[in-house]
Amino acid sequence: MSILGDLVVLLVNGLQTGAIYVLLAIGLSIILGTLKFVNFAHGALYVIGAYLGLLITQEISISNGRLAEWGFPAIGLDWGFFAALAIVPMLVFVVGLAMERFVARPFYDRPDTDQILVTFGLAIVVQELIHALIGPRTYSYETPSEAFGLLPLSGPVGVPLSSVTIDVWRIWVIAITAILVIGVYAIVEYTDFGLVVKAGTRDPEMVRLLGIKITRPYLVMFGIGAALAGIAGVVGGPLQNINPEIGMTILVPAFLTVVIGGVGSIRGAVLGGTLIGMVQVTLISLGSVGLGGFEVNFTPWAQVGIYVLAVIVLLTRPQGLLGSEEVST
Amino acid sequence: MSLVEIDGVNSYYGQSHILRDVSMRVEEGEICALLGRNGAGKTTTLRSIAGARPPEVREGRITYKSRDITDIETEDISVLGISHVPEERRVFGNLTVEENLHLADVARNRSNTWGRDLAFEHEGLTIEQIFEDFPRLAERQKQLAGTLSGGEQQMLAIARALKQSTDLLMLDEPYEGLAPQIIETVENAIERIREEGTTVLLVEQNAVAAMKIADRCYVIDQGSVVFEGAAEELQDDQETRDRYLGV
Repeated sequence: MSILGDLVVLLVNGLQTGAIYVLLAIGLSIILGTLKFVNFAHGALYVIGAYLGLLITQEISISNGRLAEWGFPAIGLDWGFFAALAIVPMLVFVVGLAMERFVARPFYDRPDTDQILVTFGLAIVVQELIHALIGPRTYSYETPSEAFGLLPLSGPVGVPLSSVTIDVWRIWVIAITAILVIGVYAIVEYTDFGLVVKAGTRDPEMVRLLGIKITRPYLVMFGIGAALAGIAGVVGGPLQNINPEIGMTILVPAFLTVVIGGVGSIRGAVLGGTLIGMVQVTLISLGSVGLGGFEVNFTPWAQVGIYVLAVIVLLTRPQGLLGSEEVST
Repeated sequence: MSLVEIDGVNSYYGQSHILRDVSMRVEEGEICALLGRNGAGKTTTLRSIAGARPPEVREGRITYKSRDITDIETEDISVLGISHVPEERRVFGNLTVEENLHLADVARNRSNTWGRDLAFEHEGLTIEQIFEDFPRLAERQKQLAGTLSGGEQQMLAIARALKQSTDLLMLDEPYEGLAPQIIETVENAIERIREEGTTVLLVEQNAVAAMKIADRCYVIDQGSVVFEGAAEELQDDQETRDRYLGV
């Protein structure tokens, strides 16, 4: 083991963990920034993405879900992981459109508390539906060898002295996230559609007075945010265990990413997600360290670490690192 | 037939009854000023015409070019050639001057059932015409609108409105918070717009300044029209001025 090798592994793992948060936070942040809508069901889109990806990738056997009782002991398309990667975003985009139209839109003018209640309720409904249909058990993705496997750090990456290896897929996750982030940034920054969305952030009524129907850009923006959350579920799928609870678990770091980066800011989401990912992975990797005669195990403190990060940022910059307005609630 | 006819309109903000039986006419080609104290119902009248909600128009009828627009949606009025410049300018501070102006074009191509058989008398201004008329905006086109002075923001709001085909320009408190010499610049802009034949409906607290350029005036108080007549008539009517305008 070399220190350099450890650092490269740390960097890759941190960036990859952060990348998943970035994908989730962009949608959350834009929806919160433009529509002032607090979406606690955003994690549900992630879990939906993960399960749809699972079912497209492979056939899974259901032992204790309702579907098994109804005579479907095994479901799934078995089309492989890359098919899932292509199809899931489209499916979750449509789920996002439906969510906007039937859950979010009726609550745009309602208080934050109402929005939180209805979306949190929806998140629980999704989680329990999966629980009931497919069962509580944990699944993992079958992954093809091309983009997976381990990369020895000596050789291609050029770090000598090392027997350390990294998951190739983690690098892919970082690359895919980077491309998507640039794509969404370009849409918001350089198209008429993005112009309307940005104007709508400040003054939706004035946009309407100019004769622009603002409901459609909102709908599409919501769909894009949903698709990104769905993609996060698929690209993150091979790196974790899939169970109905992962949507709720990911919601906390995703919201912290938005808070740290600044509401409504894409660059903020990237910065916030990367910071959280790095802090979390660093603390986990530190493991047990001897400090002044005491043995401290940092791994269980990883979750606490990201809260501490959020507290420090909020105390120094209440609007988030790259946010322009203070969060009003 | 007048360009805009408002007949017996009653508008509400929730349970509050704001406009009480308001009837007004705006004639083609004129500058019509709607005056009154703060809270008299001036802005509510403009918002009722613009289809902005709230207020809710519960009774009465608003027609424009003989078509009933009482229940029109906010985003449909601009297609009819009505441009509304609301109070406080409402430019998008997070966008550049250029982008603010460009937003007016985003809307223009929208197909719409309201505007389908309607011919505009005034085409929207091109960006060149706007920069010619408002040279300050040309100098600042790459600048964020939020960094402009109050007067420049007002110019931008008016220019943005005129970028769309405008047969009726509604201005809500265009002089608010502006220094006297800037007010004069805005006045000149409004008069130039009228000379080109666009009808202007002007709401102002600054009654003296408004009477100066208006052809006809309405005075509104507690949601009811209390004076209607030529601007000169109001100039000479000291009682109405004392009682409802305080000037």
